[in-house]
Amino acid sequence: MNVPSNVGKSTLLAMCIFWIINFTKDVSMDLAGIAFLSAIPIFICVTLVIIITICPIFWILKKDTISNYAIAKKYFPYYAIVMFGLCLMGVIASRADVYSISFFITVFITTAQSWVWFAKENKV
Amino acid sequence: MKQAIIILSSLVFSTLFYSQNIGLNLSIFSILTLIVLIISNTNKFKNKATIIYALLYLVTAAIVFFQHTTLSIITNCVVFFTLIGSITEAKSSIFVNWLNGVYTTVAGFFHRSFDFNKKEAKPILKKDIDFIHWIKLIGIPLVFIIVFILLYKNGNSVFNDLISQINLKFINMQWILFSVLGYFIFSNIINPVEVEHTTKLDLETGNSLFKGKNFSEEDLKKEKQLGTTLMLLLNVLIVFYLVTDIIAISTSATSNAETLSNQVHNGINALIASIVIAIVIILYFFRGNLNFYKHNKTLKSLAFIWIILNAVLVILIALKNNIYVSSFGFTYKRVGVYIYLLLTFIGLVTTFLKVLKVKNLLFLFRVNTQIAFAILMLCSTVNWDYHITYYNINYAQSVDLNYLIKLSNNNASLLKTYNDKNTLSSNNYNRINNKHTNFIELLEDRNWQEYTYENLKQSNNTKKQNY
Repeated sequence: MNVPSNVGKSTLLAMCIFWIINFTKDVSMDLAGIAFLSAIPIFICVTLVIIITICPIFWILKKDTISNYAIAKKYFPYYAIVMFGLCLMGVIASRADVYSISFFITVFITTAQSWVWFAKENKV
Repeated sequence: MKQAIIILSSLVFSTLFYSQNIGLNLSIFSILTLIVLIISNTNKFKNKATIIYALLYLVTAAIVFFQHTTLSIITNCVVFFTLIGSITEAKSSIFVNWLNGVYTTVAGFFHRSFDFNKKEAKPILKKDIDFIHWIKLIGIPLVFIIVFILLYKNGNSVFNDLISQINLKFINMQWILFSVLGYFIFSNIINPVEVEHTTKLDLETGNSLFKGKNFSEEDLKKEKQLGTTLMLLLNVLIVFYLVTDIIAISTSATSNAETLSNQVHNGINALIASIVIAIVIILYFFRGNLNFYKHNKTLKSLAFIWIILNAVLVILIALKNNIYVSSFGFTYKRVGVYIYLLLTFIGLVTTFLKVLKVKNLLFLFRVNTQIAFAILMLCSTVNWDYHITYYNINYAQSVDLNYLIKLSNNNASLLKTYNDKNTLSSNNYNRINNKHTNFIELLEDRNWQEYTYENLKQSNNTKKQNY
């Protein structure tokens, strides 16, 4: 499993989604600077979420006979549904504030795409 | 063709929902979704179950327009997921339909991204149009151009003036992003995917229970003795409880709301614990080979008696709730008690059937979820706020106006009529008038996407007044 590569790609994806949604509200030079700096907290969040919630599933279930693809196919649906539920709860709890919406949409899409990248790594 | 349908649908999606409250838009969305699903999955709509769910989806779309209650909106969503799940696999149980429906709607795109084993999922289009290349070709230069324009703006006043003259405010980026969300949803549902593991397991498992390999007469005899003793004692206990409860109901003539409330809620708590334990115990003893043990008749009879006695307990609680309602009127909690009692009663009947016809646990789960779905459908057809208010102001011995005023606007016109015909305190009079005025203003401020049946009624009333 190539975790660093996945984390790197996921960080870029998360940054793009988060700031595209936020820039629809307000575009300014100040935000552009913050957008670049936000790479650090986004990287930390993405790394933690991937290592804590996705990697253990592959580490625990991975065997020589079972590919990443097979694990993803079996467990991704449940993960996606639970993650969607949690993100939806987050959006509702935050009373649909744009920052919160962009954060939770980013979390859902990034984690789902991260699964796809892991699944495609060494498909048997 | 499919891409054109998805893009068109996503534009309609944005037009319907962007910055709008729920109303006519959800009903139109339901019809649009159904058309898209029929066009893209024509073969699946030959199945009876799918056709029924499609019709139910249309019915809930109409209910949303006519009733406009939170429950009707929730039901519409539940039926939407059921329909999508049914298109995925028509023969699966309803709870698997829900799982497949939710999964398809939220993650169908990602599923197809890594699931390219299937022939139909092969991205043949990629050979003709390289989407990734086009996104890179347009996206990357666009991002850099924007960044450099923002940088150059501060370096040159002439350049800044020229750039400032460009007015792109007519482009609503949030509307475009909303269309992307619509595109995501429609591209997900147009090709339903399934949670393979659960769907396969559900299709392979029947409803009947079969004799296990480890059939030991000695072990079963001991288990039967334990079960019989336990059931007998529990039956004696519940009979004693029921007798005392009947005496309490027939002798006490309580007119105090608090006492009645305590009685009903304590009864409900006892009922919840009693029914859950009853079902768990019955399921434990009748989980396997004891069903096929020839000397299990006494245990079965005791289990049946216990189920019947629990049903009597349900009826007694319903009676208490009835006394409570006739004195103090309906509230959501009191309606909820009736619905809970109905579900409990059905749960007991299905447990009875499970033991009688030697069915497995999955049978119980399948039947109960199906019934819960049907009850949700039925409940969504009722405009609860209106009917609660109607009953309370016409039949209840005492009316809690404060509660009725706090309900949704669905009862505003009814309260206004009540206000006009009766002499109320000035505070309540003003609150009801304010509620009605706000409701009328809200109706007039609605965009066409938010229209409900109330708008039609209001416009008819206005026409009549003008004549």
